[in-house]
Amino acid sequence: MKNPSGKSLMHASLMEQLISELKVKIIDLLDLTNIQPEDIDADGPLIGGKLELDSIDVLEMVIMIEKDYGVRIENRKLGEKVFANLAAMATYIADNTPGPLK
Amino acid sequence: MTGVRIFIIGMGAVSPLGSGVAETRAALAAGRSHLGPLSLFETPDNTPLPVGQVRISLDRQPISRTHQLARLAADQAMASCREAPDAVVVGTTTGGMRTTEDLLKEGVVDPAAYRWHAAGSVAEDIADRVGCKGAVLTVSTACSSGAVALKLALEMLRTGKARRVLAGGVDSLCRLTYYGFNALKLIDPLGARPFDKDRRGMSVGEGAAMLMLVADDSHNAVAEFLGAGLSCDAYHPTAPHPEGRGAYAAMVSAIDDAGLTAADVDYINLHGTGTPDNDLAEARAVKRLFGDRPPPVSSFKGAAGHPLAAAGALGAVTVAICIDAQLIPANTGTCHPDPELRLNPVTRPLQAGLGTVLVNSFGFGGNNAAVVIGAPAAERQRADADVPRPMLVTSSACMTGAGTTDRTLTRLRAGESCKGVLRLDDISAILPAHRVRRLKCLPRMVMALAEDARTRSGTKDPPATIFFGTGWGALSETHAFLKGLYETGERFPSPTDFIGSVHNAPAGQVAMMFGTTGANVTTTGGDASFEQALIAAGYLGREEGRTTLVVGADEYHEPLSALFDPSVRADDIPSAGGAALLLNPDSTAAGVTVFPAFYARAGRDADFTATLVNSLGGPERIRARFGALLAGIPAAQRQTGVAQLEAFRACSGITLPVIDYRKLIGEFASASAVALFMAVTFTQTGTIPAPLCNGRSTRLADKGTLVMGFGNHVTAVEVLRR
Repeated sequence: MKNPSGKSLMHASLMEQLISELKVKIIDLLDLTNIQPEDIDADGPLIGGKLELDSIDVLEMVIMIEKDYGVRIENRKLGEKVFANLAAMATYIADNTPGPLK
Repeated sequence: MTGVRIFIIGMGAVSPLGSGVAETRAALAAGRSHLGPLSLFETPDNTPLPVGQVRISLDRQPISRTHQLARLAADQAMASCREAPDAVVVGTTTGGMRTTEDLLKEGVVDPAAYRWHAAGSVAEDIADRVGCKGAVLTVSTACSSGAVALKLALEMLRTGKARRVLAGGVDSLCRLTYYGFNALKLIDPLGARPFDKDRRGMSVGEGAAMLMLVADDSHNAVAEFLGAGLSCDAYHPTAPHPEGRGAYAAMVSAIDDAGLTAADVDYINLHGTGTPDNDLAEARAVKRLFGDRPPPVSSFKGAAGHPLAAAGALGAVTVAICIDAQLIPANTGTCHPDPELRLNPVTRPLQAGLGTVLVNSFGFGGNNAAVVIGAPAAERQRADADVPRPMLVTSSACMTGAGTTDRTLTRLRAGESCKGVLRLDDISAILPAHRVRRLKCLPRMVMALAEDARTRSGTKDPPATIFFGTGWGALSETHAFLKGLYETGERFPSPTDFIGSVHNAPAGQVAMMFGTTGANVTTTGGDASFEQALIAAGYLGREEGRTTLVVGADEYHEPLSALFDPSVRADDIPSAGGAALLLNPDSTAAGVTVFPAFYARAGRDADFTATLVNSLGGPERIRARFGALLAGIPAAQRQTGVAQLEAFRACSGITLPVIDYRKLIGEFASASAVALFMAVTFTQTGTIPAPLCNGRSTRLADKGTLVMGFGNHVTAVEVLRR
């Protein structure tokens, strides 16, 4: 696919896939036993929102993102941006991962 | 009336600053950094972070590094003392973890190799070394352990329960803390720069510091131990309260305990780890207490790193040296004091006379302590200290393999076994799911026990203080952390598991659940861990008209429980459990009381049993006051324990029914907590159920119950009706 719109479509579907993948990972990682993937709003706040995540959950996600995607989040300011919501997290991972997204 | 004054007559310190008082003093006067890359174990890609590593040779295998550090410091502290201490109180977080990590990595399954693991084994080892025959206690409140140990020792001396106490703190570098703090993103890759505007975190360190404390004997005194205070943030498992609420409370309490005011403080040795949050919170607390012109302040953690459980004791030794040397040590590592903190730490060592010094020491779980040390010469008036006395039981709850309180009681009354291990969901059934989401077994047990006890008390009022005894701490978290670490080539351990791995994490969770901001102390020491918590509550738990929560609990973990605890190994049925009691140490009201009357390591001499009997008031009192005896004989010490029990029976002449309770509730270190629950319940109802007394129901009438422990430790807790 050469036209630009085709590329962006593919990007969008990749992003969607990544967001779905992250939802499952986060539920498992943070023991969110009462939450289903569809309960998580990709644009809703991750911290202090409906999910009741806190700074320790952020640390777990930092490790997971480094381990699974090779993306390091080194400081608190960047962390605030990345963990604003799931869409921001997925975008940051997609933009910075050294390998191709699965 | 004049109270007792407490003096420091011997000191030992082993840290990156040097070994012994002379080297430490020279290092403090020079003010250089002693941080350097970790070389104790290999790190991925060979990129070790700066740490405060003790650089002298500590290679006496297989003795754990922590034990070696503690021995050195204890020997130094005892060098000029002829008499053995009559108590040893040590603060440590990770005990022999450094050795255990290697063993687990190599897959060693020989339990004998793990004999250094227990945090409590350090104090035992030191007691053997210095010939202490009295109480040996271990405080494990993470990074404030050493300072909390000093506070406990102080109260033992003030009340006259001890005349000479060797107290301090120790931790060695290990993977758990090195990688754990890194997982929390709390490490400064350039080395700790406390209170610097560019600070990015701490440097993990190690060390040992021991102080020989004596009551009322200023001969050869290096300094006077004036006071100490404890508090709890009840805010977050690791982060300090942003306004430094707990730090402030601990400082206020310590200064008040010393009979002084903030204006009397000439210098503050700050906790100052170098993490953005700690330094900000501590600076705010200092400002709140001392106003805009606080006395000179500095932290040694930019020079030596953070020696964790040793920090508070090393702080005390440091300031005692500085008082003697008329020296204010530098806040090494700081180039640009953070203007936001409005606190200008001393950047170079200064010559200055110091009369009174405050030492801060804070830890995970929001467990805070502050200590006040002074020049020895000055005349001082001391207030009298209250001797611990029986504590009124407000409510009690328990948990065994049979279930929670009511299920356990039903089976006990029928004389049926309560051995076994509960499912995780059943343990925390009464707790809101969101509160326990990230928690594994032990914190859930402790929180559920605490909540059950509070519900049964019929009041919403939280306890003022919390004391928790555990033989082995949070084994699930510890194992999960190391497993995750090793499986990822030492790259990606879990921050949650690290936070949960400290012995005091469960008590910190309870403080957060209840909003309990008073003293929060976790003790450990094998099968007598719970008794240690009771003893600590007696000294530190009294707050006017308010209750204290005392909990004992141990989980069963496969494979660690059997590797560490020989009694667990000796029973075919794995068991776990614990109990919580809400006590009022301040009340004189009628009801059932508990009192830890005797606590000692087993003595081999003939006098030992006589001392035990006498401490309970002699044969006549024992026969008159007690209607039953609950005996805890750990399976691994069966032979010794039975012989000790027989000797006690013979010496006291008692013919009471004896309930061998571990056969009913199983083998776990804090089984005595469940026994105390049983004793309280039976004493309240006035009857011991028939199936527990060879089929004959025993009426206690107005008599009480003795709960005793045998084996390595011999303990006696009196449960009486008044």
